[in-house]
Amino acid sequence: MCLLLGLLYMTGSARAVEPYEIVANSGLNEKTLSKNALRAIFGMRLHTWPDGTPIHVFVLPDEAPLHIAFSKEKLNVFPYQLRAAWDRLVFSGTGQAPETVASPEEMLAKVGSTPGAIGYLTRSRMDSTVNVLQVK
Amino acid sequence: MFCKSSNHIRRCLTRDVVRLVVVSAVLSNCVAYAQKLPIPQNLPNNLQIHGFASQSWLKSTNNNNVFGKSSSDSGSFDFRELGLNASMRPKPNLQFSAQMISRTAGKGSPGNIRLDYGFIDYAFLSGEDSKMGIRLGRMKNPLGFYNATRDVPFTRPTILLPQSIYFDRTRKLAIAADGGHLYGEHRSDIGNLSVQFGAVRPLVRGAETEVALLGREMPGHLSPDILYIGQVNYELDEGRLRFAFSGAQLNINYDPASSERLGAGSIRFTPLIFSAQYNAERWSFTSEYALRHFEYKNFGSPPLDLNFWGESYYIQGVYRITPEWEAIARYDVLYTNSDDRNGKKWAAATGGDPHRRYAKDITVGLRWNVTPEFMLRAEYHRVNGTAWLSTLDNPTSGDLSPHWNLFSILGSYRF
Repeated sequence: MCLLLGLLYMTGSARAVEPYEIVANSGLNEKTLSKNALRAIFGMRLHTWPDGTPIHVFVLPDEAPLHIAFSKEKLNVFPYQLRAAWDRLVFSGTGQAPETVASPEEMLAKVGSTPGAIGYLTRSRMDSTVNVLQVK
Repeated sequence: MFCKSSNHIRRCLTRDVVRLVVVSAVLSNCVAYAQKLPIPQNLPNNLQIHGFASQSWLKSTNNNNVFGKSSSDSGSFDFRELGLNASMRPKPNLQFSAQMISRTAGKGSPGNIRLDYGFIDYAFLSGEDSKMGIRLGRMKNPLGFYNATRDVPFTRPTILLPQSIYFDRTRKLAIAADGGHLYGEHRSDIGNLSVQFGAVRPLVRGAETEVALLGREMPGHLSPDILYIGQVNYELDEGRLRFAFSGAQLNINYDPASSERLGAGSIRFTPLIFSAQYNAERWSFTSEYALRHFEYKNFGSPPLDLNFWGESYYIQGVYRITPEWEAIARYDVLYTNSDDRNGKKWAAATGGDPHRRYAKDITVGLRWNVTPEFMLRAEYHRVNGTAWLSTLDNPTSGDLSPHWNLFSILGSYRF
């Protein structure tokens, strides 16, 4: 039973994700950000862009393949660690959680319409309401 | 395990299975209902609302009770945790947060609704790599990895936190306090360092604290001085390795009632906790080591004028079998007085049972994330010693057995 579940899990996590990018609301001036800043933003510890605009963080559900790939490849953490860190902030009152969106369509709609928003999308889902952010 | 004859076992099992099915059905209904609730997003001022509800069932052997009459035939359902919090961030460097909690856990926690925390957090310095700020109000005490969120099942590794360090007996001393915290963070390629320091007034009230500190309910009352508390955290590689050191010093004065022979004594309590954690994809290992210095003065009663160190530690391994299933094993040790690990000196001096002064707990457990919002847990404890058992739930020390078992299940919902 466990072996079977384990195999399912491995095939699940090995499934390739389409090429994706870190995206921000198109009104934002930033085109690049450091790896440290990216990790601090998704760790919910950095709250403003260099120009003073408040940051709004959007994520897909913990089990979404794109969220897993983004967490591991761009942030170098596992989704359970992010969830634990957000829970520590939320339930001790010392911070807030990012907003979870249900689908890539909602991610595009939210990031595209919220000033200062950041998220991630596969290239095929992007349009002119969002800009790609390069990690230096 | 808990039933004696085979017929009895069958009856017990049938009854417990029926009860479990009923509880699960009720809980899953709650979940289904809760998932239909419109949880508002995009609220003004970045308002966020979160909460949790959990119900546990505990069954223990012998006469050793954990949270209600858990050693009775039907076990105890007397462990329930409900919480609701709200936070607002009107500006990026300013946050307001508050949480209300109702916790039912045996005689020590009757389930009254109370303010768990409520404070203003203002970051007066904030840059890409560092931040400094202040918190004013009622904050959770940063002690070890788990104290600040100890009543939230989703943030705990097991149904019961390792009791050697996270005593439920003296939780009112540890849980939260009123005053101010100063904090700072620095992020760099060689890790993230964060520091907080607080001068606060603890919420020492209630019979449980008197029993924990003075051995029984007292006619006078305890009044705490300022509690100084600090924690240093270091995270390497985004939390793959986490280290923390927490320390506190608390002075509590005792005002005796006029009818008492006891003097106006004071208790100085100094806990120090070292914490370490390693997080890999499937595995997490956690260990914490605590030293607690107790100094009792001016009670004018020799058995109460004490000076000793308590010692605790646990090692814990978690294995994530799949994203939904997780297994855990832990070994947890508590010595009330590290110079008297088997309690024999204390027993000779007081006539008490030596097993009240130590506890060694082997725990194994399973967690099932049924959905991201709903979790079920089961765990089994094999314990030698009774040092962390509540005196309120176990009023007659002579009834307790040094070797005992505890089984527990928990269902918890969050949003």
